[in-house]
This record gives sequence, C-alpha cells and structure tokens, in this order.
Amino acid sequence: MTTVKALRAPYTTVLKPYGSALVALARQKPNVVCLGADLTRQTETDLFRDQLGERFFNGAMSEQNLMGVAAGLARAGHQVFVNTFGVFATRRPYEQIAMQIAYPALDVKIVGLMPGLSTPGGPSHQATDDIALMRALPNMTVVDVADAREIPQAVTAISEIPGPVYLRLKRGEIPVLFDEDHRLDLDNVVVVDGETAPDEPVDLTIFATGMMVATALAAADALRGIGISVDVVNVACLKPLDTAGVLREVRRSKAVVTAENHSVIGGLGSAVAEVIAEAGLAVPFRRVGIQDTFARAASARYLFEHYGLGSQHLVDTAAALCGRSAPFPKVAEVRHEVGAYSPV
Amino acid sequence: MVAREGFGYLGQALSAAEIFAALYLDALTPDDDLVVSPGHYAIVHYAAGVEIGRIDPAELVTYGVDGSRLESIGTEGTPGLTATCGSLGQGLSVAAGLALGARLNGSAKRVYAVVSDGEMEEGQTWEAALFSAHHGLGNLVVLLDRNDSQVDGPTHQVTTLEPVTDKWTAFGWDVHAVDGHDIGGLRAALGAAQRSARPSVVVAETWTLSGLDHLLPDEADGHFLKVTPEQIEAARAHLTEAERDARTVAPAPWTSRKGERA
Repeated sequence: MTTVKALRAPYTTVLKPYGSALVALARQKPNVVCLGADLTRQTETDLFRDQLGERFFNGAMSEQNLMGVAAGLARAGHQVFVNTFGVFATRRPYEQIAMQIAYPALDVKIVGLMPGLSTPGGPSHQATDDIALMRALPNMTVVDVADAREIPQAVTAISEIPGPVYLRLKRGEIPVLFDEDHRLDLDNVVVVDGETAPDEPVDLTIFATGMMVATALAAADALRGIGISVDVVNVACLKPLDTAGVLREVRRSKAVVTAENHSVIGGLGSAVAEVIAEAGLAVPFRRVGIQDTFARAASARYLFEHYGLGSQHLVDTAAALCGRSAPFPKVAEVRHEVGAYSPV
Repeated sequence: MVAREGFGYLGQALSAAEIFAALYLDALTPDDDLVVSPGHYAIVHYAAGVEIGRIDPAELVTYGVDGSRLESIGTEGTPGLTATCGSLGQGLSVAAGLALGARLNGSAKRVYAVVSDGEMEEGQTWEAALFSAHHGLGNLVVLLDRNDSQVDGPTHQVTTLEPVTDKWTAFGWDVHAVDGHDIGGLRAALGAAQRSARPSVVVAETWTLSGLDHLLPDEADGHFLKVTPEQIEAARAHLTEAERDARTVAPAPWTSRKGERA
C-alpha cells in the first residue's frame, strides 16, 4: 500500500473532466453509447453529443424507460453510459435498474451527478440516499471519486468492469486534490494523508469518500494541531468494499470516523460499521454525514455546515471521540473566490 | 402445465395462443429478439415453443416445478426469452433498446415485444412509446394482448384504456387492430407491421377463456385460473377433438427457417 500525499486548499479546479474523458473513451471503444435525460450540458455530455452524435441519444425526461433502453442496448453488445443527476438516476428508476440492469449484470454505467448536498435544489434534487440504494443491488459496483485527477481514471476503470456500475460525480468545478502521479484505486482503500508508517498505531482514522475527502484533509490538519495523529483514507469504491484494507486501518486506529456527503444510513458509514462489527472489533466510532433527514434548498456551503458535513463539525466530532474536551481547534479558513471550489 | 397443480396462468395462454402461433410460425426468426413483457405469459411461450422445436414436449410437465427451467414467470433464463420481465411495464423499453442497438450494429433483425393491455396503465409504457416513435424504430413490433383482464377483474372496470388504437396512433405508431383469435388476421397484421418504417403495434382483441369458455366459469379470475381435475379432463377431450378437426400446420423448427427472410 502506498501513501499518497494530498494537496491542500485552495485547490485549482477543472471543468468537465468527466465529459472529456467519456469522449476519449468512446473514441477508443466503438461500442460505447451515451444516453441522456434532458440534462445534456449539466452532465457534461454535450461534448459527446457534439463530437460523437451518432452514438448519443437523448431519452428525454423518462428515466424508467431510459434504464430499459440501456439494458436493451447492452444486450445488443454496446457499453452504455446513462447520464443524469444522481437523484433521478437512482430513486425513480430503481426497479428498472434492479430488474433490467443489475439482475442480468449488464454492461451499463449509470453516472449520477450532483451528489448529496452539493446542490441548492433542495430535497427533489439532492441525491442523499443514492449510495444506499445502489449498494443494496447485487452485481452493482459503486464508485465515488474525490477529485479531477480521479475522474478520467474512473471512466477508464469502470469501462473495464464487465458489469453495472454506479459512478457518483460532483458537478461543475472539480477540485484537484492530488498530484499528477496519483492513481485511482478501486480495489483498495488508500491512506491519502497521514504521517504514521503503515504498521504504526494512529490516534484517528477518517474514512472519507467523494467530496468529503477534501473536508477530511482540512479537518485532519486542525486535529494534528492539538496532537492527534490522523490518517485520511480515501474510499473510492464503496462496493465491493476493500474489507481487508478497512480492517487493516481500523486495527491500528484508536478511533474511527467516516465522512460522507450522503445519509449515514446505508452509505460509507454503514459499510465500514458492518466490517468492524462482523470482525468483532470494538473501536470508538462515529459517522459524519446527513443524519437521517431531508435537507433544505440553500447554498452548498450553508448546507454542508447546517447538516454537519463541514470540516469543523468533523473536527468537533473526532476530537470528542478521541477524548478531547471543548474548545476544539478551529479549522483554518481558506480564502476562495466567490463561486470557486473550496472545502467547507 | 396447469393440470399438475390445478392452477396457473391459463387465461394468458388462452388469450394469447393465436398471437404466439402467428408470431412463431410466421414472423419470428432465430436472429430476432423476443421480449415478453408480461413474464406470466411464459406458459404460452412454452406451449408454442414445442411447436417450433424449441422446447421438448416432455419438459412441459416441469412448468413451475422447483428447479425447473420453465419458471411460471419467465426470466432471461427461460429458453427463447431475451429479458427478465414480470414487473409490468418494463419490457417495451428493453425491446426499444434492443431495436436501437440492432440499428447501430447495422443488423436487419427485428425485435418483437408481447405487451399486455394492463401494461398501458404503467407510465413507462408511454415513455417507451414516445422514445420508439421519436427514434423511428421501424424494426420494433409490439403484439398487444387486449384481453381486458387484470388481477382485480376486467380492465375496463379498473380503469379506462379506450380508445386504445387512437392512443398508439397519437404516439406515432403504425397500428393494426385485429381479432386476436383470427390467425389469418394476425398473420396479415404482422406482415404489415414488418413492412412499416415506424414502430408497429398489433392490437389483438382477445378473451382469457377463448376455446374453453363452455368449461370455465364466466367469473373466472383471468389472471390466475384455478381448474378442477374434471375441468382439466373435459378440456383435454375438447382440445383433442378440436385438434382433429383443425387445419394442421407442420412443425417448423427455427433452425430450418434460419435465413428464410431475404
């Protein structure tokens, strides 16, 4: 296992890394077909439409039909990427995904953008249970990536997986957390930020996924400021989960926190808790995420703070779990331009 | 198949027997795809499958038996069926995807979908109808079993589907309305559907007691018929007699018809 050193905010950002990567993949693989549901620009697939239009089909606002069409196309030998917002990709066509895509384990990649509380769209637009829904389906691989370096690699990697995949993607400006040498690892959970050797004990391990990796990095710095040693572990593949890797990190940790931009029910927190419990381990444990509630329509920054996804909340939770008393250390403010990406 | 347990999806078989006969004997080739959206219709697929050499008649007694491949609600594990259906309203979308996929592949194959009238209650059916017409899927043919039957009773008592043909026409489909127990009408409609540049639907008016109406009670649950041993024996006798009088169609296994379509 390698430890990657992650970068610190403020992060540079990249536009449309997914859309570009999908076009590049399709140029290599003639059987790649791109489906949309009236969110072409929003899912970055306008690039595909404009460059490979003969393989792009807008299925209109009919996600149930679209999943069936994807299944038919896959049965005809195509690799199908279905693109829409995560909430529409999972809740409305759940049964269609289960019966037509997951049950026969077809080569369909469902790409759900705008995860969790990253949108001001309120409960209709916030995919807060998509990981839980997709994890529950047999044969389904579930991936949530942390930054713009990982996105193109994720497109290539999931294309190599023969069965169905749910890929969860942030929309809009995508931060660059890792350096150019970073390699996405879907097979292993990876310590992306830590100062301890792989076999040494550590005070706290934060398992983070997707947008919460950046949040965890900011929180880790604040916690280290009061003498808590911290490893941040990037969990890019939530299913199948690298159980052995999770146990390896848990066994050397005095406390464990999970961090996800998703309900704490059924997502990363649940998955890690299942591994810990079934291994018979007892370790102080907390799940940071959306605490079994729907969220309001507001800015992402407001929502992350209000619903306990911010790095300060992560610091407070982790410090208390490690036996520290308030006042807890403050997370450093990061200067950022209005509209630009910054961890909350 | 229903004799062993005394119940099964017999109504579906009785309403759709001629539909499957016309489809298998006249239209479907080994290269084509078949999606049976109401998976419950597997029973008639099995019976008809015997006639085209797809299923061994001796295997029919295993219908619905634990471990048999002749499941009571068909899946893609069912010989000859392409998708896993049974949750109603999903099959037409898969058929549309298969038809689009065939076009992308430059294939001349056709995709046939058997759809029940009750499935018009599912919104997804109309999503698929819009999609198929918009994308000009002329290689897609739907056989719609208009048997006016669903679990809670006659469909017209549950909801109003009429005007059925107008609805499909309005969605941009090539529509052929026929008596679903008239083999000649079904064959003509299938032929016209195959020639259409648009997606086609054959709306077949049928009855879940067809052929055995003098033996089965009017109020019989068309979705899941229960039959007594006496009714089974009477039906066997009646059908044996009817078969003796019927025009015999020679078995035509798919393998011998491969490449028949120019």
